[in-house]
Amino acid sequence: MQKAFGRKAVLLTFLLPAFVTYTVFVFVSIIWAGYYSFFEWSGVGTKVFVGFQNYITLLTTDSVFRMTVWHTFAYTAIDVVIQVFGGLLFAVLLSRIRKLRVFLQTMYYVPVVISSVAICQIFNKLFSVTPAGIINTVLGMFNPAWKILEWTSDPAKSLYVAAFVEGYKYLGLYMVIFYAALIAVPEELSEAALVDGATKFKEYIYIRIPYIKPVIIANCVLVLNGSLRSFEYSWLLTGGGPGNSSELMTTYMYKQAFSSMKYGYGSAVAVMIVIICLGVGFVFRRFTREESSE
Amino acid sequence: MRKKVLAAILAAAMAASVLIGCGSVTSKGGAPMAATEESAAAASEEAGTDEAAAPASDRTKITALFRGSESGEQYQIFNDLLSRFCEEKGLDYDIELVNGDADYVTKLQLYINSNTLPDIFGCPNGALSAACRDIDALIDVGAELKRNGYYDKMNGAVVDFLTDAEDGNLYLFPQGLYCEYFVYRKDIFEQAGITEVPATWDEFLEDCRKISEIGEIPVIVGGKDNWQIMRYLSFAPWRVTGPEFIMGYQAGEETFSENEAAKSAVNLVYEMGTKGYFEPGFLSVDYTSATDLFYGGNGAIFYSGSGQIAQAEEMYDNGQLGFFPVPDVAGMENMSTNVPIHAGFAEAFNKKTYDAAMQEFFDFMCENFSEACYNNAKIFSPFNEELPEGLPQLYYDTKPMFASADTAWTSWDDKLSSDVLTSIVDQQQKLAGGDITPEEFEQTVDTFVK
Repeated sequence: MQKAFGRKAVLLTFLLPAFVTYTVFVFVSIIWAGYYSFFEWSGVGTKVFVGFQNYITLLTTDSVFRMTVWHTFAYTAIDVVIQVFGGLLFAVLLSRIRKLRVFLQTMYYVPVVISSVAICQIFNKLFSVTPAGIINTVLGMFNPAWKILEWTSDPAKSLYVAAFVEGYKYLGLYMVIFYAALIAVPEELSEAALVDGATKFKEYIYIRIPYIKPVIIANCVLVLNGSLRSFEYSWLLTGGGPGNSSELMTTYMYKQAFSSMKYGYGSAVAVMIVIICLGVGFVFRRFTREESSE
Repeated sequence: MRKKVLAAILAAAMAASVLIGCGSVTSKGGAPMAATEESAAAASEEAGTDEAAAPASDRTKITALFRGSESGEQYQIFNDLLSRFCEEKGLDYDIELVNGDADYVTKLQLYINSNTLPDIFGCPNGALSAACRDIDALIDVGAELKRNGYYDKMNGAVVDFLTDAEDGNLYLFPQGLYCEYFVYRKDIFEQAGITEVPATWDEFLEDCRKISEIGEIPVIVGGKDNWQIMRYLSFAPWRVTGPEFIMGYQAGEETFSENEAAKSAVNLVYEMGTKGYFEPGFLSVDYTSATDLFYGGNGAIFYSGSGQIAQAEEMYDNGQLGFFPVPDVAGMENMSTNVPIHAGFAEAFNKKTYDAAMQEFFDFMCENFSEACYNNAKIFSPFNEELPEGLPQLYYDTKPMFASADTAWTSWDDKLSSDVLTSIVDQQQKLAGGDITPEEFEQTVDTFVK
């Protein structure tokens, strides 16, 4: 077996399909978008070469794009909190119970397998104001004014609602990963801590959670990656609105390219998304690597 | 080796079946059509002209691309027409449906860019029809209608709506005739002490106030769909200037801050949004939900139209509903047409593939279009013909409103460039939500065109 894997042909057989697929669907797309970003083009008709003009406009005069960058960071931060820390909390709680654990684990995981469109439809109904959805109906029981509380149509809340819905959907996924990591922590470590007089709380804080730190970091990277590129939740729940209140970089890119029919400009936004994602990923990896080496 | 070959064959068969299944909605078997130049010439001769004879056809299939779903009006009409025509001629047909405006536009752009448009395709009058015209992909529908004698039967406002702004030709065939009007709940009007329908926007706002005071929702609007609030923004400029204001604005010759009709429209949207005349959370309600809300018994007024007769029929027949046209702008000269009339999404015919068979289909379509409109899509026919018997009463009662209309509705969606439209949509949501003042709105949108 060892011999077989050492052979170049075998290695290539395993590596080449993934490499080719990745190159064709990721690298070529990025390069293609980079090429289009130097043109003024409506998607039909003649392309006019404008050099770096799209980037200059994007970085100097486009206040909406700047707003979308901050929205995306806020959105990502909320998702990290819900998915990573929420997932970890749920996993810890799950690891502490014996009864109904499998049932609860399955229930928490259900949103992960439901499609994004269906989840957004469900939340649209839940957050509905006219007619009042379940949330407003329940709130209305406490205070009649809360029955017409706006969620997705309130510019002050729309971004957070969209982030919450995405966080809710994937919380179960990260919970399962954390749970698997937590139960894999060697029992002798926990037992040693308990023998030394540690409480259950301290056991988690000083033994189990530090032990699964690589898993936490890996999950953070996954959530960062997913949230920075998130599109469908904001798009389906609010369409980036009202106004631009829940506009993310991706929805803005889509609007520029496909609604405003500015393919060149939309491509420039797409390239900026790639650069920002790479930048954030690089900084995060650098930060976590330095911390690990310490 | 045999296993490998078998696997390859199975894989190929699976791939082929997947590709065949992609996007295809309907396909009917049949032998290839043996249309000849003689049959085409005969068809042209019948229509009184020889010049329009299309090339002979050896086609086996007619392809179409439409926006919407199988319950959509365009599909309902063309599925019926194509199935009947193709069955008669032994042809196949294939209708590709794309749901959602943006997705449809993207798909159509792909076809335009690659110059591989289907035989018939949905196309609005504006940037997309201009792009098709630029690559010489459009049949002159006006000339074809003149050839087969249907041009004069077409409603004038519909022709006006679809006429190309640059060369004045008619390249598009209407999806139907749509007229829009306000419907209102008679019982709520009565409770609020409103005895007459509003004739001006001032009266409209006054009625909204009265309705609001009795605890009812004055107006239901699907504010999540861009065009709904945009209607309120465009009513006043349309009544006062027709298409002039918006065309002038797009050309950089008109501004919202200087045009009185536009200013009154901006104030109207702001007032209705901030005074609670629209339903709570209206910016998260789409048009379908708004329709369900109103016809489900919520709200006093709803901007509806002939496309929703099926939903309004029962309440109207029970005497619960009334209707009124777009009010006047007080203190300004309003044009006589007060019912927005348009032709829907429209269809174009691919010039590259327009052969004798397609010409025959075109004539078949004109002959049977009204029937398909009333029987299948439940919409008005764009041809000025007597209404058939047995339709819901609302058809007969609303038709006089647009019988004498001579000016088409000016759809801002079609007249504004895509980027300006997208930007205005964002601002109108802020305006209706009270996040910006009318003055801020005017100043901002005036910077969108240079």
